[in-house]
Amino acid sequence: MTAATAMRSATTLEVRGVTVRFGGVIAVDDVSLSARTGEVLGVMGPNGAGKTTLFNVISGVQQPTAGTVSLGDTALTGRAVEAVASMGVTRTFQTPLMFWGLTVRESIEVAVTARDFGGTYPPAPHRELIACGLGSAGRRRVESALRERADAVLARAGIAATADRLTESLAFGEERLLELARALAVQPTVLLLDEPLSGLNPDEIEAVIASIRAARADGVAVVLVEHAVGELLAIADRVVVLDHGRKIAEGPPQAVAADPIVIDAYIGDELE
Amino acid sequence: MIESLWQYVLAGVVVGAIYALIAAGFVLIYQVTGLINFAQGEFAMIGAMTAASLATAGMPAPAAAGIAVVVAAATGALCYLLAIRPARAATGVTLIFITLGLDVALRGLGLFVWGTNPLSLNAFTGGAAIHVFSGVLPPQAMWVLLTDLLVFAALYVFFRHTYAGTAVRAAVANPPIASTFGIPLRTFAFWSFVVAAAIGGLGGVVIAPITSATYDMGLTFGLAGFVAAVLGGLESLPGALLGGFVLGIVTKVAGGVLSTGWEEGVGFLILVIVLVLRPQGLLGRAARRA
Repeated sequence: MTAATAMRSATTLEVRGVTVRFGGVIAVDDVSLSARTGEVLGVMGPNGAGKTTLFNVISGVQQPTAGTVSLGDTALTGRAVEAVASMGVTRTFQTPLMFWGLTVRESIEVAVTARDFGGTYPPAPHRELIACGLGSAGRRRVESALRERADAVLARAGIAATADRLTESLAFGEERLLELARALAVQPTVLLLDEPLSGLNPDEIEAVIASIRAARADGVAVVLVEHAVGELLAIADRVVVLDHGRKIAEGPPQAVAADPIVIDAYIGDELE
Repeated sequence: MIESLWQYVLAGVVVGAIYALIAAGFVLIYQVTGLINFAQGEFAMIGAMTAASLATAGMPAPAAAGIAVVVAAATGALCYLLAIRPARAATGVTLIFITLGLDVALRGLGLFVWGTNPLSLNAFTGGAAIHVFSGVLPPQAMWVLLTDLLVFAALYVFFRHTYAGTAVRAAVANPPIASTFGIPLRTFAFWSFVVAAAIGGLGGVVIAPITSATYDMGLTFGLAGFVAAVLGGLESLPGALLGGFVLGIVTKVAGGVLSTGWEEGVGFLILVIVLVLRPQGLLGRAARRA
């Protein structure tokens, strides 16, 4: 076994026995799953199945009532959102959320620098000290490297033309593409995507799917929640199905799609 | 009549510059934490009283001024760490009441340390009064305006040309998303108090030679700074600058033409008029929330 395949098969994200209770409601019920580097793990399930709550637990937004989340050998449970983020877990949201007032390029740059600085502000003095146009050669080098990196990310996402626009002027599809580009720009270890295809036109869907495949090729562990079941089954390497907070099936996409329990949960009509 | 009116305008520009600095503190803290910090005026008092007492004790003016700003900044840091941060789970209204309590506490501390007698601070530079057309300004007015220029230029450079400043703007725009990228919101909240307090303290130091320093000066400056910040839109630093000058000029002219007792009343009247006609403030953006 080569080092590359060893890395590829390594388990990165491990969710063990996670339960989330809101008062009397059990949103997530004893769910375990794992995502490996260079793999797309599809998570499907009807509305209210607990998919988004599960993402909130993994990213540290929501502390679980029981269970643990770990990244490699490191426990994520109990850590603040910023700490989980700086360990390489990045996510997107059902509704794309933008940094209004920043340009598209700045949105990428701010994400990249936040990751590079590991949340330590103010960062290394040489990057900030002479901040205006009179900047030192070192400062200019850092600036242009960052700009090139941001522009490359935007080009890959197919939204290079929007680089200098303010984020509040973007159309919905462009917001989605920017949100995904922003998440990929920080070179995450684990990428949690919450319905990245919803509301997109066919060209944009193709662009997002290409980005997800590229992330997988780069060794990212992608966890994908998606209502478009056909697309999900086509991209995912493995699929986990949630229903009413419980895991009801897990396995290769085709096997899961044929599973009577899963078809029953979806009332059959979404799995064609 | 015109001559004296012009003189009131000049006086308004000078106090307006200080209102703008206090307003900038309100805006910084409001933007980063969502809080209205009603203790903001006390940072100016602490700056002014510290500088005046140190200078009276014989310390050279620049050193006294520098120490005063550091003392004000440290006060801001302590306010955040001891009063705001432990209560961060509380609702906004509770936190605003905490800042009102801080305001009273700091004024009490000022009374305890420095007593009721006004302290004076010499102007930074001597020289003759400066004539501007038919009006005159004390030489210290140049230091006041220079301070405004430097502070607002520094804030502009920070927010527009540094990575940390861009990160603060991102955190202000969308705190939950910013934190999912590792942007440390609490660190920024801490620094917003430190910087707002330092700016307020600096304002107190530069105005003290003109107004003298008293333990209760923070009340007036705090209220004026708050009105100026709201005039400007509460979310906008250029708005704070504009709001400060508008408020300073309007109140001084009204005070001169009517009577000095009318200054504050007219200030609040302007606030009400602006909020009725333009609820988002002079330079604020209309509310846009998804």
